[in-house]
Amino acid sequence: MEERVKQVMAMVFGIDVKDIGANAAPGTIEAWDSMRHMNLVIALEEEFGVRFGEDQIEQLISLPLICLTLRELTAQA
Amino acid sequence: MSELKYAELLQLNRDLGRQLGGAPHRIRVLSNVVVNTLKEGLELTLRQRGLNAEVEFGDYDNIVQGSAESASARAVIVMMDAANLAPNLQTRAPLLDGREIDAIIDRARAEIDLVLANLSQAPLVIWNSYSPLLYSAGALQPNALDTICDALNAHLRAQTQANLLAVAFDRVIAQTGVAQAFDSRYFYSSRAPYSQPFLFRYAGHIAPAILAAAGFAKKVLVFDCDNTLWNGILGEDGEHGIRMSDETRDGAPFAEVQRIAFDLRRRGVLLAICSRNNPEEVDRVLAHHPDMVLRDADFAIKKVNWNDKVSNLREIAAELNLGLDSLVFVDDSEFELDFVREQLPGVELIRVPHDRYRYPGVLREAQGMFFTLTKTAEDAGKTEMYRQEAARKAGAAKFASLDDYLRSLELALTIHVNDPALVPRLAQLTQKTNQFNLTTRRYTETEMRALLDDPHYSVLAFRVKDKFGDYGITGLAIAAPTAEPATARLDTFLMSCRVLGRGVEKAFFDRLILLLGRRGIQRIEAEYLKTAKNAQVVSFYDTLGFTRANADLARTAYTLTVADYRASNIDYVEIEEQHGRAG
Repeated sequence: MEERVKQVMAMVFGIDVKDIGANAAPGTIEAWDSMRHMNLVIALEEEFGVRFGEDQIEQLISLPLICLTLRELTAQA
Repeated sequence: MSELKYAELLQLNRDLGRQLGGAPHRIRVLSNVVVNTLKEGLELTLRQRGLNAEVEFGDYDNIVQGSAESASARAVIVMMDAANLAPNLQTRAPLLDGREIDAIIDRARAEIDLVLANLSQAPLVIWNSYSPLLYSAGALQPNALDTICDALNAHLRAQTQANLLAVAFDRVIAQTGVAQAFDSRYFYSSRAPYSQPFLFRYAGHIAPAILAAAGFAKKVLVFDCDNTLWNGILGEDGEHGIRMSDETRDGAPFAEVQRIAFDLRRRGVLLAICSRNNPEEVDRVLAHHPDMVLRDADFAIKKVNWNDKVSNLREIAAELNLGLDSLVFVDDSEFELDFVREQLPGVELIRVPHDRYRYPGVLREAQGMFFTLTKTAEDAGKTEMYRQEAARKAGAAKFASLDDYLRSLELALTIHVNDPALVPRLAQLTQKTNQFNLTTRRYTETEMRALLDDPHYSVLAFRVKDKFGDYGITGLAIAAPTAEPATARLDTFLMSCRVLGRGVEKAFFDRLILLLGRRGIQRIEAEYLKTAKNAQVVSFYDTLGFTRANADLARTAYTLTVADYRASNIDYVEIEEQHGRAG
């Protein structure tokens, strides 16, 4: 899952997958601003066939948190 | 395009931007709601058509102010959503009395006038009509929000400014459907009502206007004859065997296509024929056939012969002195179209659909390619509206300047000094505010409560209201003690972008200095800590008259002697204070 998330992040932010560290977050990826965060949310929802809640969207602020939230959502399904 | 995933579309958009290169075609969006994903949707749509567009946004809910700074944009899009004409109007409108509703309408009309005047030199201004649909689609009876939208739409339609295109927003909503267009998830947190699919659809809807203004509009509509202008084959079925009559099932779609073409011609599009046929037979049909809508005089040029279509299309372009990329060619044969596609990639192609009943729809859809902004007397047809509008304008106030406009808002600040009831909101403001934030220090509720409990700290927050509504607690300053006597350090100074562009930060700062002075503070230290997002306040303290103490890339330190502070004295903001704990 982490690799797929990285793949999506790379395409959304226009960066190389290998520049996305295990703890990638808005602080470490310059292109990750609030505007592109919306794009990331849309792309992740599409890629994983999920829909994040309003609270969850605000929590998706690092690669580990994204994977955690996705695991929760896909486990419920 | 629809097979691609969203992330792939973003990638494609970036790649196209790089490939097209050159000076970008700058498009500026002024909006009172958040419409971020319009950027990708519109850029991609236009880049796929060869225009290297770059979309940028004015400050949130600063349409009037932003219109004064949009001079260099090649197109300006104004998205003034009905829900945010005044705070939470989508549910407040029915609760307002007639006078309050009139006030909102008057102000918005004046804003439209002021913004249009500011944008009079822009090559193109796209303005969305006002729609209550997202907020009251199921209502059986119209409510006050409908009244407001109706009044503003009438005002918009009565505008005569040549560069203005008023877009029927309801139509775009209808294309996606209300449920798909509105994404309430982002509405409360970010004031972003529209879904991504909706904004992409909207981009497709307005793209023809932007392309036309950029010189990308098509100019010539070229028809094959058999199974294209009429149903049947002239050489085989004969003049009386071909069908294009409304009275026949298999002719009716062709009658409709001819009327659509005739309307395009009336609006300045050139029509042409490119057909393999005997020229005399085609001429006879054009001259005498009772069911033809289009006649010989309607065609600027005809190439009816047995030559290949590529040569004929080349000649049509050459004789009209136009580029091949001005041509749209309609034919029923995939074989012919393939050949043209290969040889003349600039020509836009339309294939007559196998299901003939789809044909008029395909052509209607294609009309956008010929878009021009010229307004004919016919589409005007609104004499009555002009008359009413002139009468209204004679009576209504107009704003001569931005200050006049701001004065009309009746802005009021309530300054809350050390108010513990605000702890959750204040912590949230420090967490969420990125742009107008001098130091970007984040505080939890516990930390914020501790600051409020500490008598050495002053925590000042402000609430902004204007005559149209309440914007809530939207600004915060925290003054911290220092080791120096009579000296305070500005730990935090921030403001939500909801209330940008109204001068309230300066009015607030005047009062902040006054309050600190009252507490015996004579000297203030402040700093600007650079982040990726707070460039807009890089010289905030400079403009207030602070002295730079030292600066490096990440941090600029300032000092101010309270006695030397020159107040901004903004006269259009009413201020009152509310004190929590003493101190």
